[in-house]
Amino acid sequence: MFKKSSPLQSKSEIILRNIVVAAMVVFFMLFLIIPIGIAFAGSFHEWNPLSGTYRFLGFENYKEVFTSALFGKSMLNTLIFSVVVIIFRVGLGLGIAYAIYSSLVKYKSFFRAVYYMPVVTPMVAVAFVWKFMYNPQIGTINQIFGLDVNWLMNPKTALIAVIIMTIWKDFGYAVVMFMAGLYSLPSDALEAANVDGASAWQTFRYITFPLLKPMTLFVVITSIISYIQAYVQILIMTEGGPGTATYLASYIIYDEAFVKYNFGYASALSFVLFIITAVFTWLSFRVSGKEE
Amino acid sequence: MKKKWIAAMMAAAIAFTGLAGCGSKDSNGGGQGGNSEDSPKVEAPTEPFGDTVKYDPSVEINEGKDITVELWEWGSDDLFQQIIDGYTAMHPNVTIKLVNNPWEDYWTKLPLALDGANGPALFNVHNSYHENLINYLAPLEIPVEDLEADFTGVAAHLIDDKVYYIDYGMMTGTVYYNKDMWETAGLTDADIPKTWDQMREVAKKLTIREGDSLVQAGLNFNDDFHQNYLLGLNYQLGENLFQEDGKTPNVNSESMKKVMQMLVDMYETDGVGSKDFGEKGSDSFGQGQSAMVIQWGHYYNTLNTTWSDINFGVFEIPTFDENPYAYNRYNGESTFGINKNAPADQQAVAQDFVKYFLANDDAQIAFNLAMSTFPAKKSLADDPKILENPSLAVLSEHIDHYIWPGPMPSTVETSLKKAGQDIFFNGVDIDTALNAAQEEIIRDMKSSAFVSVENLYEFAEK
Repeated sequence: MFKKSSPLQSKSEIILRNIVVAAMVVFFMLFLIIPIGIAFAGSFHEWNPLSGTYRFLGFENYKEVFTSALFGKSMLNTLIFSVVVIIFRVGLGLGIAYAIYSSLVKYKSFFRAVYYMPVVTPMVAVAFVWKFMYNPQIGTINQIFGLDVNWLMNPKTALIAVIIMTIWKDFGYAVVMFMAGLYSLPSDALEAANVDGASAWQTFRYITFPLLKPMTLFVVITSIISYIQAYVQILIMTEGGPGTATYLASYIIYDEAFVKYNFGYASALSFVLFIITAVFTWLSFRVSGKEE
Repeated sequence: MKKKWIAAMMAAAIAFTGLAGCGSKDSNGGGQGGNSEDSPKVEAPTEPFGDTVKYDPSVEINEGKDITVELWEWGSDDLFQQIIDGYTAMHPNVTIKLVNNPWEDYWTKLPLALDGANGPALFNVHNSYHENLINYLAPLEIPVEDLEADFTGVAAHLIDDKVYYIDYGMMTGTVYYNKDMWETAGLTDADIPKTWDQMREVAKKLTIREGDSLVQAGLNFNDDFHQNYLLGLNYQLGENLFQEDGKTPNVNSESMKKVMQMLVDMYETDGVGSKDFGEKGSDSFGQGQSAMVIQWGHYYNTLNTTWSDINFGVFEIPTFDENPYAYNRYNGESTFGINKNAPADQQAVAQDFVKYFLANDDAQIAFNLAMSTFPAKKSLADDPKILENPSLAVLSEHIDHYIWPGPMPSTVETSLKKAGQDIFFNGVDIDTALNAAQEEIIRDMKSSAFVSVENLYEFAEK
């Protein structure tokens, strides 16, 4: 299948390489490339796989996407949701990682595990618990703070409530990533700053933070990709409500595909979202590249 | 030594979980046929039984040769096992394997299974998924006129003169009230309201406030106003949910606006409840915080199992005037579906099993009581066991004045829910919200084959 090139020596190594590579190619073809191709073709059709409907529509689905007020509103919600969550994820993650990294803090492994725990807890479980905590009558949040707020059904607080839950669940990921980044920093640069009499803030501002930029970029890009696809917390906590106040772009896709079985329109929405995600990711790389 | 100890513990854990896995399979009925040694002995009838649709137990199935079919459902294993045991007692050569898939998975797995060669021959149907199932269903071999003689609502299920499933029971909304709160408010049975005006007055008496805070809601319709009020009370005012063509929704009609306005007035003018008082009206009633709710039949069993300490009564839904066009909407609980892609011998067993289910009064009563549905089988309308259930007894007088619009696509409910939330929470006016719902339903239904059967309502011409 593949010609012998250079470093592999034995025949068995070459066979193993070919098997592994072929398996990966087959895997990605079956579970990624072909489904994406089918979805792309489906986006030009009226498509309900359960009733067997598959009728060519041309660009009708895309036209509907770009004229839909709900999609526009959901994109704005997605933008607000993503920006706020990413800012807090990166800010809290970096701050807490730096605090744990500090020589003043003991039991580093304990803190790292505690902050990472919500990350490994399933989103469905976390969303249900927080939904209960937000209950206007018996929820702990109103009881602790002595409030009378219907958090998830008030259009002014519903998205904020979901954002707070998402930040709580996800910032631990950034903590662990930044700690990995901090431990891999070159110690000579930090020692040099220390010898030169730099303050802690100056060391962070001019040495640590710039050296952490690749990790920051990584956290930001993975966050963009993941938050543009966020819908589970919306499904569990608000179902997009009240009305359509908390609709996110991915929630519409879920709603169209798996509630209304309108797979054609859902595929068109998915491709628009895919392009938007790719553009944001490319922009992040560009900004980072220019600064470097 | 420590490693050995850990390994031993892990081995024990694996062995235990393996055994537990086997145990759970048995206990939930998965893989059980009617011939299980644990199944209670069931007396097999020998004489034919049934009304017009008759079942003759002496007719051999599959020429007496052993055969296994699967029956898929999403809950109530004991209920299904009971009827399977009854059937297999007559036909010991038949094994019916009960397969339970939870509701969330059922509607994803079932169409895929039916599309393949090894799908279940029998499966439980919910008519809200009609459009996704109809292409996989085999028509019943029982003559339509026989079905019509025994069951109400059969005509609504006719497709090209064939019937693929019918309703064994009709579910609708009734008012559940907390008897203790009723008594504390000084109300008696004579105060049970017949009209919405009376209902509002009673709800006011049942409401308790401490200062500005609501302590006890007289009536609570949070989270279910669309199902239990908007999609049904329109009939009381003489308007259908769909226009004459049977396809165009009618949710921005004058009657719908009037119902919506009444709901807003009950909360905002009468103050008998609040959009923020309890996430769900049904839960609030069960938790003893609300005095009245309108709920569908299944709620009767929910109260008896989940909130058994609530002392509740039931009365029929009030009306706007004494002689309404109809009282409310109902939805049918469907008989089993038969997989048209199953092998011919399995389909023959499935056809026979459905006939047995329809002819068997005990099975009909058991299923209707379990689901709290009013029997569609005409001969059971006055059955004492049915009328012992208060949520069914209150329906008996006017059950023919309830309308089934057909298997409506889910967008009708979800769009009206959004409209109601827009009105209550987002400050959108009623006209705008209902117009938006109308547009959304039209958009979502543009490729739907759904046609309303409201025109088949017995009193439609009146």
